[in-house]
Amino acid sequence: MRQCIVPFALLIAIAACTPSQPPAPSDTSSNTATTAEPVAPKPEADTKVKVAFVTNNTSDFWAIAEAGTKKAAAELGCEVLFRRPATGTAQEQQQIMEDLIVNGVSGIAVSPNDPQNWTETLNGFAKQVNVITQDSDAPESQRLCYLGTNNYDAGKAAGELIKKVLPDGGKIMLFVGRIDAQNAQDRRKGIEDTLAGSNITILGTRTDETDRAKAIANVQDTLVTNPDVACLVGLWSYNGPAILNGVRDSGKLGQVKIVAFDEEPETLQGITDGHIEGTIVQQPYEFGYQSVKLLAQLAKGDKSSVPESKQIFIPVRTITKAEVDEFSKTLREQIGH
Amino acid sequence: MRKALGLTGLLFALVLFTTIWEAAHEDGTISFLTTPNIRNLLTWIGLFGILSIAQMLVIITGGIDLSVGSLVGLVGVSAAMMLNKGQGLPPIAVVPLCLGIGVAAGLWHGLLISKLDLQPFIVTLCSLFLFRGITRLITGDQSQGFAGAYPGLRWFGNGFIGGTVAAPFVFLILLAVVIGAYLHFSPAGRHLFALGANEEGARFSGIRTDRLKITAYVLCSLITACGGLLLAFKVNSLGPSDFGNFFELYAIAGAVLGGCSLRGGSGNVIGVLIGASLLNVLRNLVNILEIPSQLEYVVIGAAILIGVGLDEFFVRRTKTKARAV
Repeated sequence: MRQCIVPFALLIAIAACTPSQPPAPSDTSSNTATTAEPVAPKPEADTKVKVAFVTNNTSDFWAIAEAGTKKAAAELGCEVLFRRPATGTAQEQQQIMEDLIVNGVSGIAVSPNDPQNWTETLNGFAKQVNVITQDSDAPESQRLCYLGTNNYDAGKAAGELIKKVLPDGGKIMLFVGRIDAQNAQDRRKGIEDTLAGSNITILGTRTDETDRAKAIANVQDTLVTNPDVACLVGLWSYNGPAILNGVRDSGKLGQVKIVAFDEEPETLQGITDGHIEGTIVQQPYEFGYQSVKLLAQLAKGDKSSVPESKQIFIPVRTITKAEVDEFSKTLREQIGH
Repeated sequence: MRKALGLTGLLFALVLFTTIWEAAHEDGTISFLTTPNIRNLLTWIGLFGILSIAQMLVIITGGIDLSVGSLVGLVGVSAAMMLNKGQGLPPIAVVPLCLGIGVAAGLWHGLLISKLDLQPFIVTLCSLFLFRGITRLITGDQSQGFAGAYPGLRWFGNGFIGGTVAAPFVFLILLAVVIGAYLHFSPAGRHLFALGANEEGARFSGIRTDRLKITAYVLCSLITACGGLLLAFKVNSLGPSDFGNFFELYAIAGAVLGGCSLRGGSGNVIGVLIGASLLNVLRNLVNILEIPSQLEYVVIGAAILIGVGLDEFFVRRTKTKARAV
């Protein structure tokens, strides 16, 4: 025991003796134009603006956003830290954001997993750096701006597509990772409102906690318990491929219509093959590109790009077999392969 | 005890390496050893360290508790639901109730394992699913939180003493002192080690092994429940399906890194403290050194392997030395 006490005490001592202020850059005098901006931990003068982009999981969707952040970084000459929480939990997002702030980023664009309960945490971060939400909003928080899809409109677009593929009506089932995420709720609401009064009924919503194996199992279970289901709708990006795989494994390709969200490669291939009716795509590339651009402006104290509503909506597109080739091509160009 | 030496060395090496790396790169500012980062680190070391200390108690008996993450989820979510954003029960009632959940869970495990002679791995694996299922059932899968209520109560999870020392870290140190005294300086603690090393032998020498085992599981779940409450206060956004997922693995990793043998009969509090610290330092430096997130688990996995390997190396060397003499 005694052998360990000394080094451990030493460690505590090191921790206690570290400076209470983050080391300030030597030339603080050269730049005093920090105005009323939230003070970043390291107010560097002429060094590169450093901003961060935090996703809510590790889906392919974010690879496109990352391409967008890189383009903006190259154009503006700033540095972007792109972080994907592996477990996709609020706790992990919190740890990552704490570390980013320590690391001296001037602003963070985050897709919060649980906006309602996370308001206070986000406000804490917003006191230290510029915080904007992307992809999923936390409207009650003090985030400077939301940048992303109007998910209610996206849901309505999906609703219209469902109406088109089921002209005679029928039963549909929704699939999503977590239904308490704002974007999932808004999309579902959009679908519900569009389908209200039609002869299409929504059986329910199955969640998989972003476990892709479970997402497929959910689909297969649905096909067993509701053999007459006419259309399966995946609200999050990986739900599209999960539905496709589940339907294929159950030998029901072509018998059940599929409507997806987002542009996972398998989803697009499914549309080309005619197994998926269509997908509602957001524009994650724009999320990444515009988030970084906005954060870089905010870092300079320029708030002119933030609208009165504090919401910047990036429109959705409906991709069916007619548009899929052109869309895939643009996508490949954006990601660069 | 000697086992913790290699680990302490590794911890220091990491701290030093990170600092030097930071100093040598880019603008040379060192973020790792700044107050904000120390504050963050101490908080998370405290929160996860509590779980590792709890886990250590059952690992010493030769058992394991895989239900830690789910119990953290259940306790945290129950607390949030009962407090109901300031509309529900008062904290003075909620905290004992939540700790009661822990005691009940521990009693359940202990009885099944000692009286029915079921394997700890299986019993607690079932609890992992059971508790998670119950958590999702009672919430209807709706995320829970405190919505800014009870700042005083939540201070225990996210507060600081003197601006730097995180409240959960203080809790961890107090806990370590109490558990350390119990394990290393009390007859009951000695009995626990004896039980883990040789259960038959312990029973024949007059130790009430069943009762001791149940105590270990109750203590483990009770401390885990404390940890779960503090984690809930800190995180404040509790997804019923994911809050606490994998925490059992972090708890076990911290304990094993700290010198506990999964065969039972060995382990010490200081080692576990350092093991838990090491895990959190690793996770932290992935972000601080701007290592791509994809590599995070690689770094953690590799470092644990190195830590355990170093321990083994030191132990063997001392053994050979002893034989040579």
